[in-house]
Amino acid sequence: MAGYLLTLGDMALAIVGIALASAAAYKLLPLLGMKREAATGYALIMPWLLGFLIWTAYPILASLFYSFTDFNVFQAPNFVGLDNYVRILTSDTGFWPSLRLTLLYGALSLPLGLAGALAVAMLLARHVRGIGTWRTLYYLPAVIPGVAVILLWRWLLGTDGLFNQALSPLYRVLGVDSPSWFTDERFALPGLIIMSLWGVFGSNAVILLAGIKNIPGQLYESAELDGAGNLAKFTNITIPMLSPTLFYTLILGVIAAVKTFEPGIFIKLNPRTIGTFLQVLVYNNAFAGGNSRMGYASAMSWIMLAVILVLTLLTFRSSAAWVYYESDKKS
Amino acid sequence: MMNAHTLSTSLAILDDPVLPRVHDEDGSIKKQSAVAQMVTYALLSLGGLVILVPLYWMIATSLKSDSNLFVLPPQFFPNPIVWRNYLDVWTIQPFLLYFVNTIFITLLAMTGEIFSCALVAYGFARFRFPGRDLLFVVLLGTMMLPGVITMIPSFLIWRGLGRIDTFSPLTVGAVFAWGPAYIFLLRQFFMSIPAELEDAAVIDGANTLQVFADIMLPLVKPAMLAIAVLSFSGNWNSFQGPLIYLNSQDKYPVILGLYAFSQSISQEAPKWNYMMALSVIMTLPIITLYFRAQKYFIEGLTVGAVIA
Repeated sequence: MAGYLLTLGDMALAIVGIALASAAAYKLLPLLGMKREAATGYALIMPWLLGFLIWTAYPILASLFYSFTDFNVFQAPNFVGLDNYVRILTSDTGFWPSLRLTLLYGALSLPLGLAGALAVAMLLARHVRGIGTWRTLYYLPAVIPGVAVILLWRWLLGTDGLFNQALSPLYRVLGVDSPSWFTDERFALPGLIIMSLWGVFGSNAVILLAGIKNIPGQLYESAELDGAGNLAKFTNITIPMLSPTLFYTLILGVIAAVKTFEPGIFIKLNPRTIGTFLQVLVYNNAFAGGNSRMGYASAMSWIMLAVILVLTLLTFRSSAAWVYYESDKKS
Repeated sequence: MMNAHTLSTSLAILDDPVLPRVHDEDGSIKKQSAVAQMVTYALLSLGGLVILVPLYWMIATSLKSDSNLFVLPPQFFPNPIVWRNYLDVWTIQPFLLYFVNTIFITLLAMTGEIFSCALVAYGFARFRFPGRDLLFVVLLGTMMLPGVITMIPSFLIWRGLGRIDTFSPLTVGAVFAWGPAYIFLLRQFFMSIPAELEDAAVIDGANTLQVFADIMLPLVKPAMLAIAVLSFSGNWNSFQGPLIYLNSQDKYPVILGLYAFSQSISQEAPKWNYMMALSVIMTLPIITLYFRAQKYFIEGLTVGAVIA
């Protein structure tokens, strides 16, 4: 009970603080010669402005600072220069395997997942009776809590789990043993990807479906008049018209893949051999098992950001070749 | 925290099949042949199976006795059906308390989040001030920033305030409008409302906050409800925050209890029936919300479409 009251009190304090800052902006800025409208605007965005300064801007600077120190919570930070970065890149036995696993996971699950989501979206865009109900069903996996999905798939992909049982005839034909998906390291990555592919149903498919429905029907009609087949319509109309949406989902997918966390926490992977997800490595260094290597973990999070930036930039650079914007054409 | 991904999901759901489609009205979409329809239904059913079999397995497992969990071939229909599992799970750990904690965290964060975001969105949508466009670009930029960068300093701030192992780090940040995607969506809605409505109220002597609360908020109610749904499920499912900030069991939300339970079970006889029962219990509120709140998503689009 006391715990709830404490937090309610903190919340009230935060609200009062924001309100005071808001009121100050509203009253004081006009005295400095600002228009009433502008002062009102600042007063209204005050919650975000304060939040940005306290919870984003300061933490970014602080994190960068910590990354050059040996800060461990218990002692004042000592400046160690690039030491953390050098150690991560040269002597951390978990880093390179984890970078490899994270990148491989992204490189495999992302294209497969997007292709699957596109197929699902194309299917859901067909005009058949009862399609609304099918769409409701197909969105279900996306609303199930991620942690429940991970546990479910860990169960399905157990050595004697339903997945292996269902595929056992296939294994027999191929003459292989049932893979132990998450206990045998050779199969951990494929297991994680199978798990992620259940996500082809859900958010990306819904986004792409909305994109498909925005493609003007006339384009298809005139293509048909010209005698285009289904494949030609798909490659020459659907894909180019959908490319901005695909680009958008790809960018977000890249960021999300590098940030993958929960599967790595629920499925224990040895960082030294197969590697684990980068964010799990950051978490382990900063918080797990009494570790408080805040400086070291901060440096690692900046390396993660660098990875994200490089991949995002590459994706942006590639977009000129395949993303089609109608406005470009007109101008 | 919600990201742009969830936002566009919500926007996409707004585009619901029950609304008349333009192609349909002008009749430009041809009726498919019977064969094409059959193929469509076959593929839809195949996908449906891929979705439903795992979900069915979750429920079936949750109703099995311990001894039937690993029998070969797998038991597709639980026999006997052990409803008791759903009673037992409440006692293996204080899950009732975990539920109360989850509801407390979720409702508090959701309320703080949606109203502060609405206020900020209104400011960005309606008032001109120096640096507004730059600030809005910065706001959009924060959507791309991975949370891992700010995670450690934020933790240290809360530690300095003596608030580790309390609910505060999981909720108080919400009143600082921590959902950039929500602000973006609400701003779009506010911008589509004609300014004459406010002008009339201002002439009648209403101040900015009165205009906001009495006129603007009711007009964007569908968008607010859509955001409330997203925020609810985001906070309900959030895992990393509780994992980092909470240590003592009596503070756990359900998700952390589930994690602790999954870590503590023995390798020899894992209680997957309990774990699946807990997963079902945790999922039910969200699924219920999803089925019930779909109509708000639809209303959201209808209002947007009417104004535009």
